[in-house]
Amino acid sequence: MKHPLRWVALGVAIIVAAFAVVLAANVGKDPNADARTSKLTGKPAPAFTVEALNGEQISLASLRGKTVIVNFWNTWCLPCQNELPALQSWYAAHRSDPSIVMLGIVRDDTDAAVRDYVKTQKIPWTVAFDRGSKTALDFGTRGQPETYAISPDGVIVGSILSEVTPSILDQMVAVAQGT
Amino acid sequence: MSRRAWAWFGLGVLVVGVLAVALWPRGHESTAARAHRLETEIKCVDCESLSVADSETDTARAARADILERVRHGESDATIRQAYVDRFGQSVLLKPATNGIGLLVWALPVGLLIVGAGGIVLALRRWQRQPRMKATEADEELVERTRAELTKGRKT
Repeated sequence: MKHPLRWVALGVAIIVAAFAVVLAANVGKDPNADARTSKLTGKPAPAFTVEALNGEQISLASLRGKTVIVNFWNTWCLPCQNELPALQSWYAAHRSDPSIVMLGIVRDDTDAAVRDYVKTQKIPWTVAFDRGSKTALDFGTRGQPETYAISPDGVIVGSILSEVTPSILDQMVAVAQGT
Repeated sequence: MSRRAWAWFGLGVLVVGVLAVALWPRGHESTAARAHRLETEIKCVDCESLSVADSETDTARAARADILERVRHGESDATIRQAYVDRFGQSVLLKPATNGIGLLVWALPVGLLIVGAGGIVLALRRWQRQPRMKATEADEELVERTRAELTKGRKT
């Protein structure tokens, strides 16, 4: 090119074009999509040990061979309170099934508040504390409620990062059990 | 050396100096310092635009303990960042990735700066090459005539 300034114009044009490509590639992508889906679905569930209200240590390894529904929750979160009736009705229909375990793991709450809430709301499934929040971190939780279904061979087959319904739980269990 | 050559030499020294300071190896970084640097790069997932270093939520505390543990086990920065991306997605990183499409985020401003600086240099050189305006004979005659008239006017 004869004029050096044309090289500069070409450089600017290339940079603007690259910027346009980046922009075009990201248009329509939801920046919050990460927050709505679990990256762990289809992968082995993180090994965990949590402490039940009676002090018993419960590990995922000890639940091997069962379909495990893990519900991260706490007492002060309104969506957790809203989904409680759905969890209670679903659990009432499945509590006699020995192949299913439901575990409520407390996320970001105090022992006293949890014990009081479990008592007043008559929560019948196992509720456990996640000391040090390691399990919540390992599951990649972003808040609560979040519910995960773990197949009998330890793989996360489904996750809901919002309030769950009995039909969603039924679907997740069906996938976990391959039925 | 001409004044212009000195100016270019000075500019070169400045650029090399800035690059040397920016790219000079930081030397040994303590375990705690490295863990803290990584904590500032990872988003607190419970919060709005806070790093795990700046948050006091249970999960942020757990993340700090986890990062420190990983640093102590000798995991590389990239491995630690990837462990969080694997669980939370790319949005957990407060700094864009330095590979793939994320590289463009870093490269575009630098590219624009270089091209802009180049443009300014070229424009200045072009302006310098343009000949300065010179008075024509007619201009000089006009000035002489005007001066003469002014002098005559003062005398009368």
